[in-house]
Amino acid sequence: MNHQVTRRSAVASLAAMLASCGGGANKDTGKKQFFVAFSQCNNAEPYRAAQNELLTRICSRSGDIRLSISDGQQDTSKQIAQIETLILQKPDLLIVAPNERAPLTAVMGKAMAAGIPTICLERDIVEPNYSAYVACDNYAIGKMAGQFIVDQLKARYGKPRGKIVELKGLLGVEAQINRHGGAHEVFEQYPDIKVVHEAVADWLQSKGRERMLEILRAQPEIDVVYGHNDPMAVGAYLAAQELGREKQIIFVGVDGLGGPAGGIKKVMDGVLAATFYYPLAVDKAMEIGNRMLREPGFKPDKKYVLSSEIITKANAAEMYQKLTF
Amino acid sequence: MAIDGRRIFARLQSVLGLAVIFLLAVLFSPKSGAGDRIFLEAGNLTDILRQAAEIGVMALGMTLVILNAGIDLSVGSTLALAATVTAMVLTRWKTDLGQAGHIGLAVLAALAACAAVGAINGAAIVSLRIQPFIVTLATMIGIRGLARRLTDNTNIDLGFGQDVASTFAKTGSDKTLVVVIFATLAVVCAVILARTVFGRRVKAIGDNERAALYAGLPIRRTRIWVYTLCGLLSGVAGVLHAAQNHQGNPNAGISYELDAIAAAVIGGTSLMGGSGSIGGTVVGTLILGVLTNMLRLNNVDSNTELMLKAVIIIAAVWIQQIRISPLARRKT
Repeated sequence: MNHQVTRRSAVASLAAMLASCGGGANKDTGKKQFFVAFSQCNNAEPYRAAQNELLTRICSRSGDIRLSISDGQQDTSKQIAQIETLILQKPDLLIVAPNERAPLTAVMGKAMAAGIPTICLERDIVEPNYSAYVACDNYAIGKMAGQFIVDQLKARYGKPRGKIVELKGLLGVEAQINRHGGAHEVFEQYPDIKVVHEAVADWLQSKGRERMLEILRAQPEIDVVYGHNDPMAVGAYLAAQELGREKQIIFVGVDGLGGPAGGIKKVMDGVLAATFYYPLAVDKAMEIGNRMLREPGFKPDKKYVLSSEIITKANAAEMYQKLTF
Repeated sequence: MAIDGRRIFARLQSVLGLAVIFLLAVLFSPKSGAGDRIFLEAGNLTDILRQAAEIGVMALGMTLVILNAGIDLSVGSTLALAATVTAMVLTRWKTDLGQAGHIGLAVLAALAACAAVGAINGAAIVSLRIQPFIVTLATMIGIRGLARRLTDNTNIDLGFGQDVASTFAKTGSDKTLVVVIFATLAVVCAVILARTVFGRRVKAIGDNERAALYAGLPIRRTRIWVYTLCGLLSGVAGVLHAAQNHQGNPNAGISYELDAIAAAVIGGTSLMGGSGSIGGTVVGTLILGVLTNMLRLNNVDSNTELMLKAVIIIAAVWIQQIRISPLARRKT
């Protein structure tokens, strides 16, 4: 029984694939089927898993989109090879979340030259080889986080002073550079605000915890921990909790993912004072993509910049609802 | 007498390495407001023990494998499997066993899965006659995939509430418990290695497989057990990892296998097999732990930290190879 069902559904999906490979109409409904390909740079990151989940939901809701997600596994040459294969399959829309800026520029140019509408997500490539670019501004997020921290310190001491520990993501990654840069632009305006310790924790909760244990030993006074993502800030909280110092420190993270493991839940739990939503961007990409697919005359803007949002106790529950799939 | 003297000196050599690093750490330790050396605070010293425990437990299993003239590259992925399985059972299964029973079930499930991975490693090595390096390289890749697949690439959070998962995290991250587990396992492994027939076989096979074969030792069975134990111990490390970090992360433990191998090698275990000890591995683990702590208390730049670590690993192994006199070298 089960076998039959799977075999039948396998045949059905094969038929659907063949139909869409022909680029033609779906025989059952007579409606056109669209083939959307998403080249994801690395599935194995919670943020990207959330992107994939959201995109899958959006596409299945529309009923006439067949979505294929390929995983570059954080390997640029793998992602290039995957996009080359996709170009041969002629998707109606190609969405790329580039693993690295420069090396992906050429292959996205090939996709454009082959007449495939292409949307670039988050990371800008070197030449504008895309129909539209959906950008998330990490520098702006860094500035927002920096300003929030300054405000918290003002509230604590009546004037802008205090000691900050910064937990950095993997060095050299765009998000790490800009989340650092944006925040420091704000901190530098206040001579009495000092970043007393910067440690690299590679985006990981476990490393955030490890590094923080030593930092707590070396720094008797810490007002704020700024993590370049939520898990590192949570790891720092765990370390502080162990030494009974978690109440004295304000923990701030970035990303604001939904779900029980995401940063929003940690704000609701009182672990983080705030997190800053880093947009998943695929919803915006599909909003643009859908118009490109369905409105023949539509010409997208070259660049869309998505704004971040601060998540504190005040709006955490509402954001949790919105961003948990 | 002379032989005994040499043996004692050889023992002292690895401890000497630890003593040198320890002295450096004391010397370079930043001072607290009251003028005390932060490195020597009891809290910091026990932090080192606790942080070293995870790698230490893995290194115990790795020592058995290396003594047996093998290698196990899959321990980092196995740690991730244990962490994710523990977190999954705790958060997604419903049981009527009460909190203690539920936690026991989660730990048991994780350990069983990891022992199975080890047994598969061992079975593949002896029955397919593929080199351990290649078999465990394959499982390192495959088990990482399994862990990610099980969790759909996401972290499974253990939360901060009162439920069973939070209780597990709270109890399992207790410093004393973690250190006691490491110490107990080290003693157990040392006894197995030095005082049991199995332990002698592990070393004998690693020292000279052909001789062991002619002597009629059960090579295949011993080898499978060695890898099973190594998988099991990585599982213990994974359960501790999950508790301490409040999460089951499928990307945990990446490159931990190298740290585990380094700890064993710094502790004097020869990659050729047959020679080494659990005591040495514990010292090796502590050398790495004290070193890391020293560099980080001083906020040394992370890239410099890697370079310094490289130098010190080589130095530590080199110190151990120094023989007392040319005469001693000729004799051995």
